[in-house]
Amino acid sequence: MKSIKLVLFLLTPLFLLSCSDDNDPVQESKGDYEFGYFITNEGPFQNGSGTLTFVGDDGNLQQEVYKTVNGENLGNIVNSMFIEGDRAYIVVNNSSLIVVVDRYTMEKLAVIQGDEIKNPRHFVVAEGRGFVSNWGDPFDPSDDFIAVVDLDANEVRATIPVGEGPERMLATSEGLMVALQGGFNFNNQVVLIDPATNQVIRTIEVGDVPNSLQADVAGNVWVLCAGKPSYADVETSGALYKIQLSDFSSTSKDFELVTDHPGLLNFDAGQLFYHMNGQIYRMSPGASELPEEGITGLEGFYYSMTVANGELYGTDAGDFASEGIIKVFNVNSGALLNTIEAGIVPGQVVFP
Amino acid sequence: MRLFILFIFFSFGAASAQSGKSEQLEEILLKGNFAGSVNPGYSIQTISDSLLNSDYQSLGELLEKQSNLYFKQNGYGMVSSISLRGTTASQTGVFWNGIAINSALNGQTDFNTIQGNSFNAIEIRRGGGSVLLGNGAVGGAVNLSDRIPYGEDDAFRFFLGAGSYETYKGQFSGLVSSDNFTVKLGLGGMRSENDYPYLGTELKNENGQFENYNANVSLGYQLDDHNQILFHSILFQNDRNLSRTLTARGNERLENLDTRLMAEWKYLADRFTSSLKFAFLHEDFTYFFNQDQPENRSEGSSDRFIGKYDITYFIRDEILIKGGLELENANGAGSSLEDAERTDFTAYGLFQHRPVERFTYNLSLRAGTSTAYSIPVIFSVDGRFDLSSSFALKAAYSSNYRLPTFNDLFWEPGGNPDLEPETSRSGELGLQFQKEMHTISLTGFLINSQDLIQWQPGAGGIWSPVNINEANNYGIELSVQGGKRFNEHLLRWNLAYDFTRAVDEELDTQLIYVPEHRANGIFQYGWRTWTLQYQVQYTGEVFTTTSNSQSLDDYALSNLELVKSFFDRRMILSVKVNNLFDQAYQSVAFRPMPNRNGHLNLTYKF
Repeated sequence: MKSIKLVLFLLTPLFLLSCSDDNDPVQESKGDYEFGYFITNEGPFQNGSGTLTFVGDDGNLQQEVYKTVNGENLGNIVNSMFIEGDRAYIVVNNSSLIVVVDRYTMEKLAVIQGDEIKNPRHFVVAEGRGFVSNWGDPFDPSDDFIAVVDLDANEVRATIPVGEGPERMLATSEGLMVALQGGFNFNNQVVLIDPATNQVIRTIEVGDVPNSLQADVAGNVWVLCAGKPSYADVETSGALYKIQLSDFSSTSKDFELVTDHPGLLNFDAGQLFYHMNGQIYRMSPGASELPEEGITGLEGFYYSMTVANGELYGTDAGDFASEGIIKVFNVNSGALLNTIEAGIVPGQVVFP
Repeated sequence: MRLFILFIFFSFGAASAQSGKSEQLEEILLKGNFAGSVNPGYSIQTISDSLLNSDYQSLGELLEKQSNLYFKQNGYGMVSSISLRGTTASQTGVFWNGIAINSALNGQTDFNTIQGNSFNAIEIRRGGGSVLLGNGAVGGAVNLSDRIPYGEDDAFRFFLGAGSYETYKGQFSGLVSSDNFTVKLGLGGMRSENDYPYLGTELKNENGQFENYNANVSLGYQLDDHNQILFHSILFQNDRNLSRTLTARGNERLENLDTRLMAEWKYLADRFTSSLKFAFLHEDFTYFFNQDQPENRSEGSSDRFIGKYDITYFIRDEILIKGGLELENANGAGSSLEDAERTDFTAYGLFQHRPVERFTYNLSLRAGTSTAYSIPVIFSVDGRFDLSSSFALKAAYSSNYRLPTFNDLFWEPGGNPDLEPETSRSGELGLQFQKEMHTISLTGFLINSQDLIQWQPGAGGIWSPVNINEANNYGIELSVQGGKRFNEHLLRWNLAYDFTRAVDEELDTQLIYVPEHRANGIFQYGWRTWTLQYQVQYTGEVFTTTSNSQSLDDYALSNLELVKSFFDRRMILSVKVNNLFDQAYQSVAFRPMPNRNGHLNLTYKF
């Protein structure tokens, strides 16, 4: 580690020199991590640090990029990352902090922490401010909240109490939608927050355990609910809810079996994708029925998945005690395009 | 099975008073199946009470130093689990006067919830021992032993100690006996702020406070020359906050309460001895994720009722038979356990033959049945051949098992009631040299384990255990003990080195948290009433990921202790410095261990 820093230090003046001598109008690189995407790796659960993997467009693969650049660990359970402009916000769940970095160079700019970041899950930006879903004490159903972050000062300015287990968030034209998945329990609501007033202005009932939400191009928000699992008091089947932003009316499609627990809703190229029972399903937003068959070639259990640009990135955490992998498929043909090594428990694939 | 039981009862009936092997029988009566004479092919180390009484420390610390055993500890004073010959904590049996006390919930023993100093001896038996000892003794076994003498002088001992990080400890023990009645009592407690700094960082071991109390009571009543009734009990309470890690703060807390009761009837005749035991074991834990919100907690407990009957009989001077029956009913309850119950019945028999004076071999077998799983039939062959008066060759081959735990079977959600026991086969070959103060022992071992239980994520993200893994362990154990006395000077040394490979069959990688190399050295110099002891302990690199991509650095730790005795050894004062060279080290990743720390101990006997 020390030697890498030393090399970087020694190289810096040379690099600056060569830049200043260079009169070519070649566009200056903003940093080593400009072209490509990131994988957040949670890291081992009880003791350890999560990491970031960078997959360059040129095929260059780099592990532990944050540690390489900053010489320190990110923290315990890196849950998610959100890129906004030239910054990235890395949410470290069990260490209760948000690490703000330059998204091109991965240099640490700030750490958001304190009593108002507690068990953070996800980060989004709406109306120029950051919003962080927080579980608080996971055993306390009544202390969950959304923290509102001033992006210039990197400080929490307000907190908005919400029901138990706020998870995924989505910035929409009507406000910030937050799925209350339920944390260690089970919830069944989506709340709408007005980012101008930091008030919850609407609560929408959905199915049990809303775990992912996506906007389509027609002004609808789709909320995928897993249903209650087999170990709940009563197991319930999953459901897919469509909420029209114009009037917040909703319609839903229930999954057939009580043991059907879908998740990982994605939206790409006008199609919805989700995962259930080891299959990936595709559905047109206009379809009247849920699809009956999964996409051939995409079978598998993924810890998480991202569908982007016609490709599916499924993360496989293996035994959760060693490095996992990402499998990249063509979402139409089901062909496996690439297998990429990641860190321990790869969670999210994040595109700039 | 039925024939086998009949055989045991027949043997009991056939027991007759003849002259003979009383010395050996007395050893067996005292140590049960940990007696050296019933384990000719295995090496058994006994840690005596003079070592046990010299400091107030956890059982793990004691065994690390005295027996070169490897423990992984989640920070000092936190959960500490053993790995013997590269096996897991649930594959190492911990026994209390011959009764298995590994947790019925997770199969393990947390060595920080047992106070080692209150026992009279600790026996360490390396190697597969399921046939003689039962469940879990795959890599080896540790026995905590209470000895009840009669007709001895009354003895009382006070121990007081204080040390770094506001650590205080105290213990009282007493023994009062008449010719046929003995009472033994041990009471102790320890507390520590345990807020040591994390070397090389600005952090310290926040939320690492602990305090624990133990009460041990034993009674013995000698009815006549042949019969005695014994009663043993242990109460141990440990309240710990769980330390932070390098990357996360915490406010967790873990409270443990263990209650163990046992009554025993021992019968000794000239050629025959028997032992009938009834034991009740209760374990209880409460875990607080956030101790400021104690209403949100997770609990678990188990109750076990054990009946155990063992006999030993010399058919002829050179033929000994042993047998035993064991019945155990256990039930568990807790936040994530429902209707957890099992009843296990097992029986074993052993045939020992000494065809010539210098050669002894054993054949033994155990079989059983359970309401929760099928118990495999296992066997063992071991023997000892004396090459000369000081050299002995030992060899053993055995099959062993480890039964699924309540958590494995009944955890909500994910427990798998269809699990079967893990099985293993192990073999070892050893050479022992013993002459005067010198002992050298060299052992090579192999263990092949199958159907190892591993928790895996299943559909819907629910983790569930399955019998899936296979592992091959092999290694070498070397120990050298010796001493030299000249005039008033006494020099003693105790050196040990273990090489351990434990390879996951599928991945072809070393199992996590099994060091390939581990070494320990104790050097003691005594002069009149002074003793100086230097101990150095080396732990090799351990892998922390199953792919072996990440590891913890190796480290060497040094401890120095100066002891002075006064008033004809009635008072002993000791000054001790642990981690003499201020080495930064971690036993478990991201959980640093203490820096240099000092302790002052005073013992007073009367």
